[in-house]
Amino acid sequence: MQDSGISILFKGVNFQRLLGGLWVTMRIALITIALSAVLGLVFGLVMLSRRRAPRAICRAWLEIVRFMPQLVLLYLVYFGFARLFGWDLDGETSAVIVFTFWGTAEMGDLVRGAVSSIPLHQRESAAALGLTPLQASRYVLIPQTVRRLLPQAINLSTRIIKTTALVKMINVTEVLKVGQQIIGQFYRLREAPFWVYLTIFILYFLICWPISALAGWLEKRWA
Amino acid sequence: MKNIARIAALLLALVLTLTTASAALADGYRTLDEIRDSGKIVIGLFSDKKPFGYVDENGEYQGYDVYLARRLAEDLGVALEIVSLDAPNRIEYLQSYKVDVVLANFTYTEDRAQQVDFALPYMKVALGVVSPDAALITEPEQLNGKTLIVSKGTTAETFFEANYQEVNLLKFDSYTEAYIALIDGRGDALSTDNTEVLAWAIENPGFTVGIESLGSLDTINPAVTKGNETLLNWINEEIVRLGRENFFHADYEATLRETYGPNADADSLVVEGGVVE
Amino acid sequence: MDWSFISAHVPDFIGGAWVTLRFGLYGVACSAILGLLCSMVQVFRVPVLRAVVRGYVELSRNTPLLVQLFFLYAGLPRIGIRLSAEACAVVGLTFLGGGYMAEAFRSGLEAVDRSQREAGECIGLTLPQTVRYVVLPQAFATAAPALFANMIFLIKETSMFSVLAMMDLMNVADTLRTSGGRTIEVLSMLVIAYVAILLPVSVLATLVERRMRYAGFGHQHSV
Repeated sequence: MQDSGISILFKGVNFQRLLGGLWVTMRIALITIALSAVLGLVFGLVMLSRRRAPRAICRAWLEIVRFMPQLVLLYLVYFGFARLFGWDLDGETSAVIVFTFWGTAEMGDLVRGAVSSIPLHQRESAAALGLTPLQASRYVLIPQTVRRLLPQAINLSTRIIKTTALVKMINVTEVLKVGQQIIGQFYRLREAPFWVYLTIFILYFLICWPISALAGWLEKRWA
Repeated sequence: MKNIARIAALLLALVLTLTTASAALADGYRTLDEIRDSGKIVIGLFSDKKPFGYVDENGEYQGYDVYLARRLAEDLGVALEIVSLDAPNRIEYLQSYKVDVVLANFTYTEDRAQQVDFALPYMKVALGVVSPDAALITEPEQLNGKTLIVSKGTTAETFFEANYQEVNLLKFDSYTEAYIALIDGRGDALSTDNTEVLAWAIENPGFTVGIESLGSLDTINPAVTKGNETLLNWINEEIVRLGRENFFHADYEATLRETYGPNADADSLVVEGGVVE
Repeated sequence: MDWSFISAHVPDFIGGAWVTLRFGLYGVACSAILGLLCSMVQVFRVPVLRAVVRGYVELSRNTPLLVQLFFLYAGLPRIGIRLSAEACAVVGLTFLGGGYMAEAFRSGLEAVDRSQREAGECIGLTLPQTVRYVVLPQAFATAAPALFANMIFLIKETSMFSVLAMMDLMNVADTLRTSGGRTIEVLSMLVIAYVAILLPVSVLATLVERRMRYAGFGHQHSV
């Protein structure tokens, strides 16, 4: 077999399987993003509430997320909970649970930051102009909050997509594992690892870059 | 200090909630009848350990273990669902009921037998050590002070940890990573099943198996979750049945002959009917 | 809880924690330097380098560290560039962290008013001197929260080093888990170890930020 490394990608269904592996992580990422967006909004608003107890829970949640690498949380849920509670969680479900736990906290922090960064005088000016609190929210506060929030929220999405690569470590057959299976087809490994891992690197870049470019463009436009 | 108290309180609340919820979600192994009724059997196999369990360029699983897996499903009258495993998670997948059977080239050891139930053997195996031709390792003592690459969760790892503590072990999660490391010179040698390293060395010029048989002569057996008697008994009966038609020799011819070559002796590897010669 | 198991393996965890901390800090230091240089290139609009830095930041922020590590460790040797596991660890962290540090420093530098530079000129300082004695201290004060957040982030990212066969904290825990079972004990020790490393860093960060606020620089924290 005198194949050069790169041709390994085009043999049979190898490349399709690589994309299939990528879809596994994308699926996890998309579900996580959707859940985190909704729950994060709630989380953020809770953090701004005047009641101490809910705020304290949120702070503790944030601290856990802050001090634990996501991989550790993944292990805790996938291996720990399975042992402690006898749950039959597969890798993907565990990943969604853990990443949503993390994503919600991050999103909530962004929401809190965006809302509290609106200067007080905006609210006061709106009242001075005769707007009711509801109108003030709708026409003045929310648009401004969204403008501050959206670029960072989109960046968070990119981070979530990147983090889903971690499921490799809990034996989910995602793109890196498929890549290894492809490498394992050819004993004369030689350049195969270089091309396979480079391809995966480029694939992630092609997915994440447009999204963060969008965030950057929005930020400039709404600066 | 306040933050730590908050975290502790939250964790406690979480644990209590989860414990109460756990009863609903707990599971168990699937008995033979349950497997038949469900129409599929879930078998854990290697996806990067050529020629025993790997995925070819058409996305199909191939290999000595896979051949057996397909036959088991066929004889049971169910579809085969394959789960890709790496060496370190074979036991765990059985214990958490994620697979019904493990056919990932699983060596029988007494320690493992405490955690899973093994069926009759279908392959002989010992440990082997492969190293570059230029710096061939022929005795395990030569590895003292040197670096040996192993895959986590294999008998090679346990063997060297127990018997050769002077050897530095470089541990990887999968076979692919371990072999790449050997080629890149990250270690002076690699050790795993001799059947495996032999096959790999044949296809990779520049490397030779310097130590062809190390440690005890072991067998490769199918494994099921501890206590899964119905399935275990069926597999044992099946292996005896298959022995009568020389199934494993046919398996060897179909999956391993090409690798080992025409002069290799199938009987040095194959165990027919669960009886070790 | 098997306490004998725990006490028997404390040394392993300390060893792992030391690897995590050491390489985390190497990564932080190198990426901080890289980030500072990149941010200065961007803020002072150095012609060609600016585009290079831009490309680098986009590349590093849109690919997961895990993929970068596989590529560095298993891919590059196939084309002749063989880095040791430790080198891959530091290069990987620096590549990833540099982009984030650059953003942090850039916002810090941009927050320093132009007039500061002009004032420096007025009292006879050269540009390098102005940067060193006037601009940077203020920039650092503004950037401090983000810098420390990056530091904690990078130390957490070391949890992937098992792919380099390095015995960091996560790998120690994983090896123990796969060879011996005792999942609950192992995971508990893992969690405690990470908190033990990151809590002091977080406390240090808060102290430093507080001191800077006292001096009049940096954010006046409201929330």
